[in-house]
Amino acid sequence: MFATQLKNELLKLFARKRTHIGFGAFLVVQVLILAMLQLPKAKRAFANMLTNNGYLPEEYYAGLTLGLLIIVFTISLLGGLYVALVSGDVVAKEVEDGTMRMILSRPISRLRLLTVKWLACAIYTFTLITFLGATSLLAGTIYRHGLGKLFVFVPQESMFSVFDSQEGLWRYCRAVLILGVVTQIITALAFMFSCYKMKPAAATILTLSVLFVDFVLRNIPYFASFQKYFISYHTACWVRTYADIVPWWSISESLVYLTALGATFWIAGAMAFCARDFKS
Amino acid sequence: MIALHGVTKRFGQRLAVDNLSLTVPRGGIFGLLGHNGAGKSTSIGMLLGQVAPDAGEVYIAGVDVVADRRKALARVGAIFEAPAFYDYLTGWRNLRLFCEYSAPFDAERGREVVKLVGLEKRIGDRVGTYSHGMRSRLALAQALMPRPELLILDEPSEGLDPEGIHEMRNLILRLNKEWELTILFSSHLLTEVQQLCSELAVMREGKLLFVGDWRELDADRHWVRVQVDRQAEAERGLCAAGLVEHFEYDGRGRLRANVAVPQVASWLVAQGFAVRAIHPIERTLEDFYLETIHVRDAAKK
Repeated sequence: MFATQLKNELLKLFARKRTHIGFGAFLVVQVLILAMLQLPKAKRAFANMLTNNGYLPEEYYAGLTLGLLIIVFTISLLGGLYVALVSGDVVAKEVEDGTMRMILSRPISRLRLLTVKWLACAIYTFTLITFLGATSLLAGTIYRHGLGKLFVFVPQESMFSVFDSQEGLWRYCRAVLILGVVTQIITALAFMFSCYKMKPAAATILTLSVLFVDFVLRNIPYFASFQKYFISYHTACWVRTYADIVPWWSISESLVYLTALGATFWIAGAMAFCARDFKS
Repeated sequence: MIALHGVTKRFGQRLAVDNLSLTVPRGGIFGLLGHNGAGKSTSIGMLLGQVAPDAGEVYIAGVDVVADRRKALARVGAIFEAPAFYDYLTGWRNLRLFCEYSAPFDAERGREVVKLVGLEKRIGDRVGTYSHGMRSRLALAQALMPRPELLILDEPSEGLDPEGIHEMRNLILRLNKEWELTILFSSHLLTEVQQLCSELAVMREGKLLFVGDWRELDADRHWVRVQVDRQAEAERGLCAAGLVEHFEYDGRGRLRANVAVPQVASWLVAQGFAVRAIHPIERTLEDFYLETIHVRDAAKK
């Protein structure tokens, strides 16, 4: 029955138009970023950066590098929003619409219901991120007629690396998968808020507020010594997989931290949900 | 079938249900009657485990709902408050989705209940295109899917047009007679409750005012409508003679206990009134309900 219930949750999730907005928005942003990279100033800045470091721009201005650029921009701009939008909606919207009352008139345990719903959200998030990874790479590859070599430059993470096509593709795929895992913390946070007595939009806004405050605080020098307590520090671990020598210990630490935090969010949400009265 | 013992529920400062004790026997249609905010839906919410009681115990078929909700609701079908569905899915898919939260979907049973509620032609359409009446019928279909012994219907006629109310009433009667379902029916529509329920409970401000068969209560007291030449004088005389308790503004008089209509007719003739019409009036649930409420309000004052 659990598999059937999960399948039904996914069906409900993917049958809604709102769920597909994220996919559509990501495609639009990809096209916009590619269009912006056509601008002479952007091209020149990119070429200068590579030339100044002794690399040929023609080799690196290709599918892999563009794909990574698109991911970094899209995730920063819209990733949190669309994950929070769907996960913040999943319980709160059903309560608001009254379908939760209909479901809970059935002999199903609230904990099981939440587990099924959370799993559906987690699958949605992972699908959205892998979709972003695949389409970004595809868009970049089509745009530059090939994968090319991978050039990674993320100043916030002090990351500067170059890889040949094969190594670059492997690194790209691995990073996207890890990004799909770390983004689950946004799912867990939005899901937790969704379990409380609040409007779906409030759950989304609260999630984004938490992420925004976390990001701002992390970038204030005063909090430099508290880096490892911030969510954004740990979610950035996917970028660290591009380091020449991958800091697996630090990445594992981040994954464990995010898993524990996600579990805490889930438990807090479940406790609120189980204690709630459902009556309009 | 249902037993509530000393159940109390507060929402903040508001006392929604106050020390409610109620037993619903198996097999009949039991009405839960009261104004909006009387505590009917809260009581049903507690029966379905959607509202946690602050005090007291709730049992369905002998199983404690708070302690073992899944077992208690295993053979219960319910419509709790306004029916809500996934508008972007078909009626059939909705039926399947709600069913599969608790049991595998039985397509044959699905077709049977869809036919019963008369939705065969539209079950493949998106629920977003359904009228209010069709949604109510779909809600009833989903409540019937788990082959329930007990059907809990919270204001099932709410928002329906007269034809829809008539259809819903017939369906409920049919389910009780042919499918032998015990039905707990909440409503503030007095005519609905009067036509459907064998027994009822009246609630007001969270308190239980009456429980039982309202027709049996004061069965020896009847109402009469009298039309004579000197109406006001006759009404005063009948009251003074101890035959009628009081007259309403619409000309109906409530007979005193053990007084029959022929006695009233004899007295009027003996007193020389020209009797144009005199006939007994069946007491309505509305009369009963308003009396019950007024007695309670008077006692409160």
